[in-house]
Amino acid sequence: MSFRIMWSNQTFPPTLIMSSITLRVEFGGGLELLFSNIKQHKLTLPSIVPSNNGTKLNGEVLSGGETKPADVEYLMHHLRDNLLQERPELFMEDNTVRPGILVLINDTDWELEGEGEYALKDNDEVVFISTLHGG
Amino acid sequence: MSADACGNPAVETEATMDRRLKYDRSKACIKCKINAGRIVVRHAVYCKDCFPTLLSTKVKRSLEPHINPRTELSRRKSLKASGNLLIGFSGGLGSTVLLDLISKIYLSNRNELRPQDPTDGKARGGKDHPRNEPVWQKASMTDRGDEIKSLMQDKYQNLELIALRLEDAFDRKWWDQVGGRASTDVAIDVTNEDLYSRSISTSDMSDPIQKLRSYLSALPTHTAIDNAIRTLTRLLLLHTARRTQSSHLLLGTSLTSLSIRLISSISEGGGFAIREEAQEEWHPGNSSSSLPIRLIRPMQEITMKECSLWAWWNDLYVIGKEKRPGGKQGIAALTKDFIVGLERDYPSTVSTIARTCAKLAPKAEAVGSCILCERPLQPGVQEWKSRISIRATAPSSPSSAPVLRSLAPLLCYSCHTSLTSRSSKSISTKSENSPTPLPFWASAHLNALNTVNAKDEGGDVWITRRVGHNEMKGAIGEFLLE
Ligand SMILES: [Zn+2]
Ligand SMILES: [Zn+2]
Repeated sequence: MSFRIMWSNQTFPPTLIMSSITLRVEFGGGLELLFSNIKQHKLTLPSIVPSNNGTKLNGEVLSGGETKPADVEYLMHHLRDNLLQERPELFMEDNTVRPGILVLINDTDWELEGEGEYALKDNDEVVFISTLHGG
Repeated sequence: MSADACGNPAVETEATMDRRLKYDRSKACIKCKINAGRIVVRHAVYCKDCFPTLLSTKVKRSLEPHINPRTELSRRKSLKASGNLLIGFSGGLGSTVLLDLISKIYLSNRNELRPQDPTDGKARGGKDHPRNEPVWQKASMTDRGDEIKSLMQDKYQNLELIALRLEDAFDRKWWDQVGGRASTDVAIDVTNEDLYSRSISTSDMSDPIQKLRSYLSALPTHTAIDNAIRTLTRLLLLHTARRTQSSHLLLGTSLTSLSIRLISSISEGGGFAIREEAQEEWHPGNSSSSLPIRLIRPMQEITMKECSLWAWWNDLYVIGKEKRPGGKQGIAALTKDFIVGLERDYPSTVSTIARTCAKLAPKAEAVGSCILCERPLQPGVQEWKSRISIRATAPSSPSSAPVLRSLAPLLCYSCHTSLTSRSSKSISTKSENSPTPLPFWASAHLNALNTVNAKDEGGDVWITRRVGHNEMKGAIGEFLLE
């Protein structure tokens, strides 16, 4: 089995190995208001992304620059750059979500999953909930 | 113990605190030690099955010692409140979760939270077991919106809904309904620190909404408006609790919100009544004969994060609180940003704020209560204020209406500051000629005091009368150099 994997790595050019992952993303607690008031989104990300979280080269060949497996930190940048309609400061602050926003990865507190460094897998579900609309 | 362990804040580096894992040791639930953890609460990991127990334990710990009229040291006695229950409901996250938890723990016939297994609605110990006696005979809740009505019909049919609006505080109909003492309308002049009051005829200003607007627009800062809204809401609820013969009023203040309140209250000059931020006993009409109404915050050990996940996992619909334009600039909003950030990075610190404040006690006994917020009145506020501040007194002409008295000695430090503290960012442009109406309870207190003073010969000791500029000049004329 390991033999076959090694073989395929050596045979295919990097661009063909680069696949994509499909995710379900949901917003709650009023955060959806920043995202066209749509709560549930289905999206596809490249499985390998730039280490600097640049989202401009989305889906193109990443020759040169450093790369990493798509993680939640990249997902946040992707959401901010592609889906967010207004006021990015209410979603992100200092490369992570703004304080007061909870993140669940597959229904588990992201603090148990490595927060932004969690490497996303195909069919993962990520939920962003704002706690800030009053108490 | 080494010197480091005592923690010199100057030496403790960011680096050691910063990259610390958000949870202790293992990812397994610390309660059952079997299931995989799903939520981290202040470094402790819980699974989805143990999370409901965590919340109900916290609610019971904050609430149950205060249910019986006399605080019982032994918890074996059954719980029996002396009156009904009133739950304050704003539609915000905290009160939505509070309503859900209270109705699941106390108002349904099961005594535990079992959201994982909603089919099991059987009461334990049989129908007539004392455990299944209702703790409160009747429960109601208050709101401020139409959206809540449909929620009530769907989910909380066993609760009576009482709608409250901020302007009710200025509405004679509401005041009569809650059984308030008959009172003439009183207005104050907020352009002067002494806050002179006078009666206004009801025809001058009868629309409660107009009176509320006039009251709020007289306030000098956004912080003062936030404070006023909070005080109005609190007293509307307390008077409603009296009307519904409730022994308990519950509010959905989370640990996070409580810490925010504590810090901002201290910074706004409310330090003397800091204990009341967590819990208070209110004596209706200041009579000691009736039992006080207990205002309890059963969620004061539950963080906003726990509230949020509870709402999410139980599919609770959070209507959301109304936001006031300009509210972002007040002390409360700034404190909120600070505490919410602190809670994320150093989750234990926020509970330390609440625990530390719980140990604070005022040095002096209260001298009655503030006529505006009805919280304990600190002695010597005005003397102290006059010592520490340089006041510019604007020249003014005596008004023709009957002069009542200065409100200043009757207000707590916080309320007085709220009404008078102007800053460079002041937003009010109130002039002396547009008097600011007071909420009915404050007018009633003033009326009562004046009646007492009229009978009492020494009454004028109490009254700080406003004197005209010329009269004053006459009185002190010989001392003026000019
Ligand atoms: Zn467990
Ligand atoms: Zn006060």
